[in-house]
Amino acid sequence: MSIFMASVGFGLITSAVLAIAAVGFTLQFAVTDVLNLAFAAVMTAGAFVAYWINQLGVSIWLALVVAMIACSVLSVALNLGVYAPFQRRGTSPITIVIVSLGMALIIEFGVEAIVGGINVSYTMSQGGTLEAGGLILTTVQLTIIAISLVVMAGAHALLRYTKLGKAMRATAANRSLARNCGIRTGRVITFTWALTGALCGVAGTVFAIDVGSFGPTSTDLFVVLILAAVFLGGPGHAYGAMLGAAAIGLATEVSAAYIQPDYKYVIAFVALLATLAVRPSGLLGART
Amino acid sequence: MSYLITLVVYGAVDVIACLGLSLQFGIGGVTNFGYIIFQAAGAYVAAILALPPESANGGFQRYIGGFDLPFPLPWVGAAVAGGVLALPFTFLVGRRLRGDFAAVGLLVTAVLLNLLVMNFVPLFNGDAGLASVPAPLQSAVMPVTSSSYQWEFAVGVVVLAAAVFWFIRHITESPYGRALRAMRDNDKVADSLGTNLLSLRTGMLVVGGAIAGLSGGVLVTFISVWSPPAWTYAETIVLFAAVIIGGRGNHVGAVVGAVLVPVGFEESTRLITNANPSLPPNLLPSLQWVAIGLLIAAFLWFRPAGILPERRRLIALPAPSTQPRAHAQQAPAEPDRAGVPDRAVVKVQPAPPSAPTSPPPADTATAPPDIVLEATDVSREFGGVHAVSGVSLSVTRGTLTGLIGPNGAGKSTLLALLAGTDRVSAGTIRYQGQDVTNVAAFRRARLGLVRTFQLASEFKRLTVLENLLSAAPGNRGAGFFGAAAGRRYWRDDEAAAIAKAADILRRFGLEGLANSNAGDLSGGQRRLVEIMRALMTEPRMLLLDEPMAGVHPELARRIGDLLVGLCRDGMTILMVEHELAIMDEFCDPVIVMADGSVLAQGTMAQLRDRTEVVEAYLVG
Amino acid sequence: MSADRTVAGARIQAEGVTAGYSADPVIRAISVQAQPGQVTSIVGPNGSGKSTLLKSLVGVVRVSAGRVLLGDRVITNMPPEEVARAGVGYVPQVDDVFAPLTVMENLEMGGYLLARAAIADRVEHVLSVFPRLKTMARRPAGKLSGGERKMLAMGRVLMLEPSVFLLDEPTANLAPAIAGALLEEHVRQLADRGAAVLIVEQRAKAVLAVSDRTYVLGGGELRMEGTPAELAGSPEFVDSFLGGGRPRALPSTET
Repeated sequence: MSIFMASVGFGLITSAVLAIAAVGFTLQFAVTDVLNLAFAAVMTAGAFVAYWINQLGVSIWLALVVAMIACSVLSVALNLGVYAPFQRRGTSPITIVIVSLGMALIIEFGVEAIVGGINVSYTMSQGGTLEAGGLILTTVQLTIIAISLVVMAGAHALLRYTKLGKAMRATAANRSLARNCGIRTGRVITFTWALTGALCGVAGTVFAIDVGSFGPTSTDLFVVLILAAVFLGGPGHAYGAMLGAAAIGLATEVSAAYIQPDYKYVIAFVALLATLAVRPSGLLGART
Repeated sequence: MSYLITLVVYGAVDVIACLGLSLQFGIGGVTNFGYIIFQAAGAYVAAILALPPESANGGFQRYIGGFDLPFPLPWVGAAVAGGVLALPFTFLVGRRLRGDFAAVGLLVTAVLLNLLVMNFVPLFNGDAGLASVPAPLQSAVMPVTSSSYQWEFAVGVVVLAAAVFWFIRHITESPYGRALRAMRDNDKVADSLGTNLLSLRTGMLVVGGAIAGLSGGVLVTFISVWSPPAWTYAETIVLFAAVIIGGRGNHVGAVVGAVLVPVGFEESTRLITNANPSLPPNLLPSLQWVAIGLLIAAFLWFRPAGILPERRRLIALPAPSTQPRAHAQQAPAEPDRAGVPDRAVVKVQPAPPSAPTSPPPADTATAPPDIVLEATDVSREFGGVHAVSGVSLSVTRGTLTGLIGPNGAGKSTLLALLAGTDRVSAGTIRYQGQDVTNVAAFRRARLGLVRTFQLASEFKRLTVLENLLSAAPGNRGAGFFGAAAGRRYWRDDEAAAIAKAADILRRFGLEGLANSNAGDLSGGQRRLVEIMRALMTEPRMLLLDEPMAGVHPELARRIGDLLVGLCRDGMTILMVEHELAIMDEFCDPVIVMADGSVLAQGTMAQLRDRTEVVEAYLVG
Repeated sequence: MSADRTVAGARIQAEGVTAGYSADPVIRAISVQAQPGQVTSIVGPNGSGKSTLLKSLVGVVRVSAGRVLLGDRVITNMPPEEVARAGVGYVPQVDDVFAPLTVMENLEMGGYLLARAAIADRVEHVLSVFPRLKTMARRPAGKLSGGERKMLAMGRVLMLEPSVFLLDEPTANLAPAIAGALLEEHVRQLADRGAAVLIVEQRAKAVLAVSDRTYVLGGGELRMEGTPAELAGSPEFVDSFLGGGRPRALPSTET
């Protein structure tokens, strides 16, 4: 397998993980109006919940489901306990971002206080490898890609074809008018936190599977990729986030084949700053 | 003993860093989640300025430069580095980008630069960081390890922190600082008053960056090491926590916050660890971060203004100026008694109501010296739609001219064209005989043609007097360098502005509210603040967009009286207003617009008899 | 238009409503009511508080004094979604559609409270009322022209067959011919089929022609009320628009 093809393989997996997180983040922002910088910290919490379940001898894929539920509950609690009260009080968006950074510290270092500063790995089999078109991927990697595709298809189906998904888009587009239609936007927003929290749990666990060995601060850099994917596609735009994730995931990993891998994040960083400078509404423009 | 010294030095360094953030975030309203990288830049630059070339110490660490420079050059270089590093980020703080998006950009920058410095070893020795940074002014007589050297260093840093405090205060309590606070409270309005937002925010990034850089430089020459783990993105949050807890916009609060949060936490961690040596090594630092997160959320919820909230800047009003005009200024202050006869006088003179069929003033307004503003065949179209089409009108000196019309008649667009905030598609606009059709809004304002806006636009956390002062033109202290030059440089300008503001406040009968926060006023009083602020620019003609909208009828009449009084003193006013009863009482002539054109002109009484006006209002 | 279906209308009533955005009320002690089967209009100059009155009825603006009744049920300060569920359809003056959603999705959101099976039926009905929307079902609402957009906004509330329609200047920014047609065909029809219609209008003459009862607002207060015939013959009516001095006593006393 050529270096290029190998890097494309890594790129696909990174894109797959990134897409789950980016879609979750961007939907959260679109519907709830909270730019939740604690998102990656919740991912970390999810990865460790999965680790704890996994340590009990449960398959990591089942543990993933538990992580999903845990992050869903945690996200709803974050909103009901923290963000929603601040929003009801009319706090400015920038102050809510500061609050979300505070939440990021509480969750990330709360996890560290519980598990200690060590890196851990899941107990799991990597399975066999498959080769197709010059790409060699393990079963686990293929599973991650499959999960991501299922999540993307699910998000698409939800937003386009279900009443609830359309209500989410309506709430994001015009919350006041949505209420005039009889939509209980409070419940739609709570559902959105639950859903995006679940995506966060999936993303955290597959991220931890992908990197192999992870610790409480492992997602600090992944945040850069998530934000780059979200802003590149246009904040609040679900399809933009998918596109952004594909572009950022491939660009970082392919570039890593040719420059020192430690610098691969620079691509994402440049993409993010360039988007903010040139087209703050992102590639796909306005909100979902 | 040496532990106490370390504590004092750390405390002073944190105070310096928090003061920079207090200016940048608390006063300037720039949320810079990458603040720590400016401290880091200062530390690295101070280190390589002080260190000898890398070959000199046996090559155990790699870095660029190595200039072996004597004190105080490393510290100066640190401040310069912090300031210069800010320049590439100015594109993030212009008008276009939401503040929270810009903050995210800076946060990501902080994460990324840390990663790059960690991995690019030739720059600053990578992950291991720089060590053996020489301390300033060490000598054989007074070695670094001696307790007297350490004490002197500590005292020196405390003095430096005091100097930074003095400097920041100096900047904040100047006309420049007022402009910053105005921008923080309402950047759109500050923009419309001619404030250069980009320049102010760039100033904040650079000055804040320089102070952060200085703090880094001081720190590195004391602890002699500096590496990426010392400046992770989370360190920025600690400084934000300090400023929020201490009190945004209050520099003493920033000092208190710096002592409580970074210093207090280090200290408490050490004490607990010493008392319980069996604790896991990572537990306390982790819990410390958790506590900082909790503190931020708790303070923003329970005490958003911090321990020491921003205080009001009280300015004593000077005694009334002894202008001969003074008695005329007093009259409108008592509208119920003095207002009514005044109106009668004004209304009778130009167009006697006994002649309802006389030609409207537009036809007689051919005497050139009396026309202040004249529009000829002015049009404005937006993508094929004519918002204003072929409007010609003239406004006579000393009149309070009303502009009315149903929704969508084009009144606000016309006002924008006259003020220059929008450009005409065709036609000419002459102001005092000069063709100003292609003159930008702020230049027209300098010529004395000033407009107000429909939306409420006061700076909430500035006093009424400060709101007025923020619009005073030509204050030498309104720029950074003027402010830095000191009070003596700008105090005459400031005194003149205060005297002018005091006169205006007295004329409006609001001197009692001079030192109240504008955010605490009623809706009507805020409209008055806006008109008074426009008067600070010494306009010859005012364009007012619904100055009485949403104002209690009683106060609306008072505003009307004041405007009539201004016109009697030579001001010319063109006013858009909905409430036609107001027009009846105060305006003459009144111009009616419908569908982008002027329909009629005359007194309200005359207009009411014209069927096309009635039709326009009923048909819409 | 298929006017064969009728709905059970309900009376909506404001009793001495004072409301506004902050401490300063925009409207003071206003009482109006709209009866089923009738078009009730609210006219008045710009800034007289007409839109605020409608918003206070549907829970968008907080009522600080007085009460709002739907039939005999008190709905004062009820959340907007609950007011909608109680059978009140409200078309705001601006931001009246979900711009990124398609025309069809906008209609589906209008029928959010309906069962899935019923939605298709209602969509068909709405499209028969506004045939123009048929050809643009998959177009994002933000790309429609002003008139199409207003039709969509009206169609969206029609989805639920509400017993009360509150329309805030539906003809604003429409060409006069389209505006007249909208009022005469669609607004009048809503009432003829049994609903109570409360409409705020800038075009006093046009709306009077389709109204059963009219209220005149000025400066946040109720200035006059009566039938269109009573008002049209009254010089005070014209004065209330052109501000001929002080507020006048109401020709009929309030309940």
